[in-house]
Amino acid sequence: MVAGLLFFSIFGPYLAPHSLTSALETQYTNGKVLAPPLEPFESTSYPLGTDKWGYDLFSMILNGLRYTVFIAAAVTMIKMAFGAIIGLYAGTLKRTPGWLIAFENAWSYVPLFLILYFFLAPISFNSSLKQNVLIAYFIVIASIISIPSIVSSVRLKTAELYKSVYVEAAKALGAGKHRVIWKHIFPQLKETFLVMFILEIVYVIALMGQLALLNIFVGGTIMRFDPIIYLSATKELSGLVGQARLNIYGNTHILVAPLAVLLYTTVSFSLLANGLKNRFQSNYQRTPWIRTGHEPFIQPSRKQYGRKKKFWSFSAQKAAFSALVIAFAGAGIYVIAAKDANIGVKSGSRADYNIDLKMNGDGYFTANANIQVKNQSNKEWEELVFYFIPNVFAEGHTFDSVEGTSEAVIGKVTVNGQKASFKLKGDTLTIKLKPEMKDKSRHNVKIEYGFTVPDKGSRFSKVDTNYYLAQWYPMAAVYQKGKWNKEPYMEGLETFHTGFSNFKVSYKLPKGYTLASTADKDPAEGKNEGNIKAKKVRDFFIAVMKDMEVHETEARDGVKIRLFSKSNHDKDPEASLTLAKNALTFYQDHIGDYPHEQLDIVLDDGQFMEYPGIVTINPYGDDKRFYDISIVHEIAHQYFYGVVANDPYNNAWIDEGITEFATSMYFYAGQNQAERQAFGLSHFRMEAIEEAGLGRHYSNVPVNEVKHSGYIYGQPALEILKMIQEKYTLKGESPKEVGMQFLSDYYQNFRYKEVDTKEFISYTKDYFSVPTGYFNNWIDTSKLNS
Amino acid sequence: MVRALQQIFIIFILILLLAAVPKIISVDPSSGSLDWSFESLPQIYGDFIKELSGGSLGTYQLGRQTRPIAGDIADNFTTSLLIVLIAVNASLVISLIFGLFISRFKLTKLFGAFLNILASIPDFIIIVMSMILAVKIYKMTGIRVISLRPDGGALNIWFPTVLASLAPTLYLFKLVSVKYYQTSGEDYIKTAVAKGMSLNYINFQHVFKNLEPFIKSELIKVISLAIGNLFIIEHIMNVSGITKFIFQSTEVQPIAIGLFAMLLISLIVYISNRLIFYLFKRGFIYE
Repeated sequence: MVAGLLFFSIFGPYLAPHSLTSALETQYTNGKVLAPPLEPFESTSYPLGTDKWGYDLFSMILNGLRYTVFIAAAVTMIKMAFGAIIGLYAGTLKRTPGWLIAFENAWSYVPLFLILYFFLAPISFNSSLKQNVLIAYFIVIASIISIPSIVSSVRLKTAELYKSVYVEAAKALGAGKHRVIWKHIFPQLKETFLVMFILEIVYVIALMGQLALLNIFVGGTIMRFDPIIYLSATKELSGLVGQARLNIYGNTHILVAPLAVLLYTTVSFSLLANGLKNRFQSNYQRTPWIRTGHEPFIQPSRKQYGRKKKFWSFSAQKAAFSALVIAFAGAGIYVIAAKDANIGVKSGSRADYNIDLKMNGDGYFTANANIQVKNQSNKEWEELVFYFIPNVFAEGHTFDSVEGTSEAVIGKVTVNGQKASFKLKGDTLTIKLKPEMKDKSRHNVKIEYGFTVPDKGSRFSKVDTNYYLAQWYPMAAVYQKGKWNKEPYMEGLETFHTGFSNFKVSYKLPKGYTLASTADKDPAEGKNEGNIKAKKVRDFFIAVMKDMEVHETEARDGVKIRLFSKSNHDKDPEASLTLAKNALTFYQDHIGDYPHEQLDIVLDDGQFMEYPGIVTINPYGDDKRFYDISIVHEIAHQYFYGVVANDPYNNAWIDEGITEFATSMYFYAGQNQAERQAFGLSHFRMEAIEEAGLGRHYSNVPVNEVKHSGYIYGQPALEILKMIQEKYTLKGESPKEVGMQFLSDYYQNFRYKEVDTKEFISYTKDYFSVPTGYFNNWIDTSKLNS
Repeated sequence: MVRALQQIFIIFILILLLAAVPKIISVDPSSGSLDWSFESLPQIYGDFIKELSGGSLGTYQLGRQTRPIAGDIADNFTTSLLIVLIAVNASLVISLIFGLFISRFKLTKLFGAFLNILASIPDFIIIVMSMILAVKIYKMTGIRVISLRPDGGALNIWFPTVLASLAPTLYLFKLVSVKYYQTSGEDYIKTAVAKGMSLNYINFQHVFKNLEPFIKSELIKVISLAIGNLFIIEHIMNVSGITKFIFQSTEVQPIAIGLFAMLLISLIVYISNRLIFYLFKRGFIYE
């Protein structure tokens, strides 16, 4: 029982199904209204029900338990250590000083909790002291005031033992005082101390409980007026009991749940103490002569003298104990390991790529893709679905932004070594799986194909002599919610959703070409043959370039920034490089580690676009400010696209909106621009929407329903800023600081996970303690629960 | 005698110190640190003594009213005294009877086991649980077990009394049974058994006499337990006893007066306990 308790007190917060700040919102599901206070066992996600305000009791208990147990243990440890030492020495004094006894007696007369009450009452209520300080303060005072009682009981026992014959003998043999105490008396008392220790833990918990009934909670009492209620700041168990004290008349479960756990806590400790005590007592007790009715049930175990000491002898007790230890460790590891798995949107597939790429002098590419697709869902697959984007630019395409055309030919497809039939329609490549392969969890797909790159295309593009290979390989779609999440290609915003993959690419280029890619270690300039690889990236971009200037610098943690540029535009490459360096350094400082070792920036005609570890920027525009913002924007994408994934078709606003926010925060918090200026682009977008008379729209719509990109970029950025301006006092000093902290926490929480609107809302509403309705302004929250 | 004086003196000092603690400690909101203003101590005690020597006990705050302590203290004092007096004496008698004299019977063993289970639960949990139980009983049967109104009369008193007696009973019962068990292994018991004396006789004449000093030495502890619980019980059950002065004010005057009243109560209870021992020995035991 105690082991279970310790387990929950260490790992409790990881297990908690809800966070302390997330409240149950009144909801109507399946014909039943769920409204706080929820009774226990009524809803599976709130096993112990909620309190009046909708906070989950189970989570509160799991969070509070550790305070209860560890504070109690800390207090006991301190007072036992001091009490025992003082008591041991006081017991060996020739004559106990009268004042000491008088003091002990006087002290034992006044109930301890009363003393604590007077000490804590003036500082606990809505205290401006920090929680930890209050806890430390409690621990210190509680220890000090309970030392005298320990001293007195240890002193009495020591004095008794000190009179024994063997102590006399030891003294006669010349043992000093310290030797007598530590070698002769202490070993006798060891077992008593152990029992005392455990009982004192119970006693400290009882002390906290008594204080809680007087509304003094360890770690501080939050007092709310109108109506007057008292809340425990730490959610410590006895605090929960105390704050729910008035619920005895109705909604008793709010009181009973923490009370029951507290009861369990104390009972398990006292049972442990009792068991040990019975054990020791039955070992040492003399057999009674008359029937007393108080005989112990345990058979005494006697020391077996003369038996050889073995290092390990098997016994049921030892086996049970080691089983307990193993179970404890195992469960702990499991909890830590499973802690992360629940964050983010689940993906049921994973793909890893091994591609051979060859380019001939005419700009024709042949490739041999070896893709390993893993089924991580619990469903069997009928088919594999890939994006094959080069195919959509075939002759006769209708995209305005693409001047030339491409040809893409898929030669041969094999799955698990067998030739497979496939269908290519638009950018959707569907490969049928043979019936006997359906239940396999791994599929080896080999695709041989060739393609050309369209002149002045969109992302996948040939500009003069440079080839920009974006989405040039069959990209496995993501299997989610029981189906392949594959949407058709559209012009403009990204439509392709990919998971995190490892890439190995070998390449062979004609002489004179240089390659820059997603990979961390790109080959040296002019090297036209080799291998590159990248791990855990969502896309693999390759730029095959000729005659480009290269500028280099370094940001924090040795991250190299390279800038490729031609000299036929009016932008200063060195200034752009400095801007990139400043922005990346700012993000490294305020958001988190940059996920790669190198960042490549390619300045050339085409789209502004982010890929993992490499971005493309168009320097030929007139708007210098937009050019600067874009550099920062694409760098921010390395975090909020490259590492925090999202479905760009259905939740485009997640990466674009947050990236735009992060971009503006660079100018706002990093460069100290005025808010209106830093967020100028977003404001500009919203004004454009107003001029166009588009009215209000939600941001979380699929790409094919987006009326204006401002809803995807500008609206989220401005709304997040507004939220932070309204709520920053909860988290810190200034909106700037809290904004960056929020981005950083969001990034750390969702690293290498996928976020959708629902995840974003549940994270954010928890972070700023706002209800779901808070986002109704700009997010359609009605479909979140379906 | 010197020791008793010493004790009383220390308790006095302790009470005065405690009563002043809420006045001394404060939190400095700007720096977030604790302030100990010891320099105001003489002022506080000066006021206290001046008030006392003026023949009045001072005043206390009840809601927005300011009332003289002297006028209210008599009633509250009797209530608290009654609760503690009955509780401690009852627990003494119960634990002696069940722990010693009739402890060898089967039925008593059951009772003992029940007490042992209760003993592993902290007092305050028992108090809260019994309140929940009482409310549940009222909801189910309509029988009013407790009243939380201060003017509830006997209904207001009996339940707190039972609860206040719980902790001392559990403590004493444990003490008695452990000591009984230890004593039963002694040689003089063996001699008595060998002489053919009856069990009851041995229990009265040999065991009880040897237990008595242990119990006497723990009496103070037992009373303090009862009083500790009394604070909780009175506070959460709306009994208007002495604790009203202590928890409802931050002034030195009522707190100190309240604590001294507590001291007086425990003194009276202690004397009454000794009286019971005296009478018992006079009646049953040959000296």
